[in-house]
Amino acid sequence: MEGELVDADIVVPMHLSFKKTQAYEKYPKGQSRGRWKHLKQILQADPDDPFYINIESPPSTQPCKRICDVTGFEAPYVDPRTNLRYANAHVFKALRSLSTHQVHHYLSIRNAAPLLK
Amino acid sequence: MPIVSKTRRQTDYNLFPPSVPIVIDNGASYFRIGWAGETEPRVVFRNIVQRPRHKATGETVTIVGDQDPAMMKFFDCTRSGPRSAFDSNVVYQFEIMEYILDLAFDRLGASGSAIDHPILITECVGNPVYSRSKMAELLFETYGVPSVAFGVDAAFSYKYNQRHGKCQKDGIVICPGFTTTHTIPFVDGEPVYKGSCRTNIGGYHVTDYLKQLLSLKYPFHSSIFTWEKAEELKLEHCYIAPDYVSEARKFQEGTKEAEEKTRYWQLPWIPPPIEVPPSEEEIARKAAIREKQGQRLREMAEAKRSSKINEMENELHSLHFLVKQLDQVEEDDIPSFLSDTGYTSRQELESTVSKVTQALRKARGEPKDEADEFEENTDSNEKYPLINVPDNMLTPEQIKDKKKQLFLKTTTEGRLRARQKRNEEELEKERRNQLEEERRRENPEFYLEEMRAQYKEVLERVEQKKRLKTNGSNTNGNQKSGNVGRGERLSAAKRERMRLLTTAAFDRGKGEDTFGAKDEDWQLYKLMSKDHDEDDERPDSDEAELARLSSRLQEIDPTFELKAEGEPGQASGEAPRVRPLTEEDYKIVIGVERFRCPEILFHPNLVGIDQVGLDEMAGASIRRLPHDDKELEERLTSSILMTGGCSLVPGMKERLECGIRMIRPCGSTINVVQAKDPVLDAWRGASAFAADLNFLGNAFTKKDYYEKGEEWLRRYQIRYNTL
Repeated sequence: MEGELVDADIVVPMHLSFKKTQAYEKYPKGQSRGRWKHLKQILQADPDDPFYINIESPPSTQPCKRICDVTGFEAPYVDPRTNLRYANAHVFKALRSLSTHQVHHYLSIRNAAPLLK
Repeated sequence: MPIVSKTRRQTDYNLFPPSVPIVIDNGASYFRIGWAGETEPRVVFRNIVQRPRHKATGETVTIVGDQDPAMMKFFDCTRSGPRSAFDSNVVYQFEIMEYILDLAFDRLGASGSAIDHPILITECVGNPVYSRSKMAELLFETYGVPSVAFGVDAAFSYKYNQRHGKCQKDGIVICPGFTTTHTIPFVDGEPVYKGSCRTNIGGYHVTDYLKQLLSLKYPFHSSIFTWEKAEELKLEHCYIAPDYVSEARKFQEGTKEAEEKTRYWQLPWIPPPIEVPPSEEEIARKAAIREKQGQRLREMAEAKRSSKINEMENELHSLHFLVKQLDQVEEDDIPSFLSDTGYTSRQELESTVSKVTQALRKARGEPKDEADEFEENTDSNEKYPLINVPDNMLTPEQIKDKKKQLFLKTTTEGRLRARQKRNEEELEKERRNQLEEERRRENPEFYLEEMRAQYKEVLERVEQKKRLKTNGSNTNGNQKSGNVGRGERLSAAKRERMRLLTTAAFDRGKGEDTFGAKDEDWQLYKLMSKDHDEDDERPDSDEAELARLSSRLQEIDPTFELKAEGEPGQASGEAPRVRPLTEEDYKIVIGVERFRCPEILFHPNLVGIDQVGLDEMAGASIRRLPHDDKELEERLTSSILMTGGCSLVPGMKERLECGIRMIRPCGSTINVVQAKDPVLDAWRGASAFAADLNFLGNAFTKKDYYEKGEEWLRRYQIRYNTL
């Protein structure tokens, strides 16, 4: 390894004396790594342990705030074609010149993009 | 305040006796490790792992935390981005967790055969027992740790601040973290987890929101908005507006205050080289060169022409001479005489003479005399003597000649007719122009108005047709941005053709094949052919009319502007493409984004998370408490502590106080305080907790873990009051 790299000491050593099993023994090269359960799976696998889910916050009781997707101003209007919210005619003009990709991106930020299956 | 990583290797590990616990704050963004009883963690780094390939040796190495980008050039990172052991706020990827612990213990200076110290490690509220047991297993089995204790970071932070008199034994801790935000009520100095609340939003979402907004606002520069850059911008510029709507209105109206609050970030910009207009001398010199070259070409062409004329003259001369000679030759000797010259008959010779004369005339630039042609016309009977003679009176040779004559006659007549028609059209045009001119003189304004209306109508028609041709349906919202959608790739005509082709391909062999029984069936092939265009009925007429109208309007109307080709009035989506880039295009304006991004902590539905925000969470927590004790509620709201990295955003305290006041009964005491150090207090609280003599009573050993079972581990909870 390059001298610079050794000096910087950024790589975790392969062999560590304080470990009973080394990482390379536990996770040999080339073995599939997709064996960790994701949070959703963990929660589904153990329905007796609902505490993590139970403390989830409830939905808000306040009216949903509607802001312009492009500018962030208060948005009284919705464009029926793209479903984007907008503040005024000026923004509307800019909004109509967006590409489908951009429109999709704006919608996906607030989780409103149509799902393509 | 950016968090500083500390990864220097410690040397005093062996000075600590095995009784001193190691304290770990395992946060989703940063990992902190140090010794119990100390005030600062020894090692701090970002809780991420990369496993790139070392370019020189080809082996996979492990790199933990943020690293100097200059060092990364030795690695091939194309197949491994930074990864985290966390899903939301729960550790699930224990392989990554192991690499992180490896580095942590290594940097702490561990060198023996095991980590011979009790460990206190933080976890989230309500950590699933799966994650907790895996973590305990990892510590016991791999590192040989004697005992382990788990605690909640926000609770440690609250206890630490309680100890320093910032908050009371009854209160609420609000902890906006990296991926989640928690509120935990405290009663008698103990956290009541039943009353806690979690919203899945945190600093990560704020940064991500900022990153996405900026890259959408500046698509041209989207590559510079990396996650790290966005994080930096967030820490430097974001604040929480006391009232979002009124703050946004200030920006919308462009008030002076808003202008002062807008931040600018000028990206490095190099002005493009300015083209110096050529000096007059230069222009003159170039013109002279061009002139000289032109002159030479002209001379060459002239020389060529004259030589050609010369040649032709000579030929003509010799031909004339031949004809003259022929006159003197006896009729019978003609064939033998001509055989030497290559001609077969006198007529052929004469026709060659006339051809050469014509060509010579043309080369000299003399006008073709039309009298000849007219003459030809007048005595067509003489010219084509064979036409009116019946076939049966002619020899086969003469029949051939007759056919030739017939063809010649029809073509000349056709030409004549065309010329006549042209003349007529010209006359018609002239007449119409005169008529219009008269009308214009009568009432110029009305006439102009009429012309404009006509022009508009025709223009519309032409454009409509053009649109139909290029873009079959206008239902998709963005015909302007080019061919994006799948349906827009084919024009209507092409689509129709495809349809016909496919039906033709699939219809065969289905039922009785009656194709061709009717004559119309064959029309199909015409429709299918590539050259077929949808309607050729009057496209030319419209376009010609448009050209006429526009030229007419240009003559008489000074205000008239010819509409440019393409879409009229098209808004330019990406301006920087069309014009040269200026410094202005390289200026990133961060205005509304400054408070729009942290606003999602209070209104998570702005990013599509349907949960209550920070202020309402406090109310929800109080409601979840089992008691219905007004006095306790009063005590809780008078001691609200904010901790966690996100509570550092300016304006948080005021907004939180205001928001909680709105949901609490009128006249309640509301007191929000910020933790001494929202980032490090959790570790400090944990450190103080572990330093207490009672700590081991809260920890459990490997033996406990295996004997007591999962159900016990599920209910395991430390008592914070020892602090």
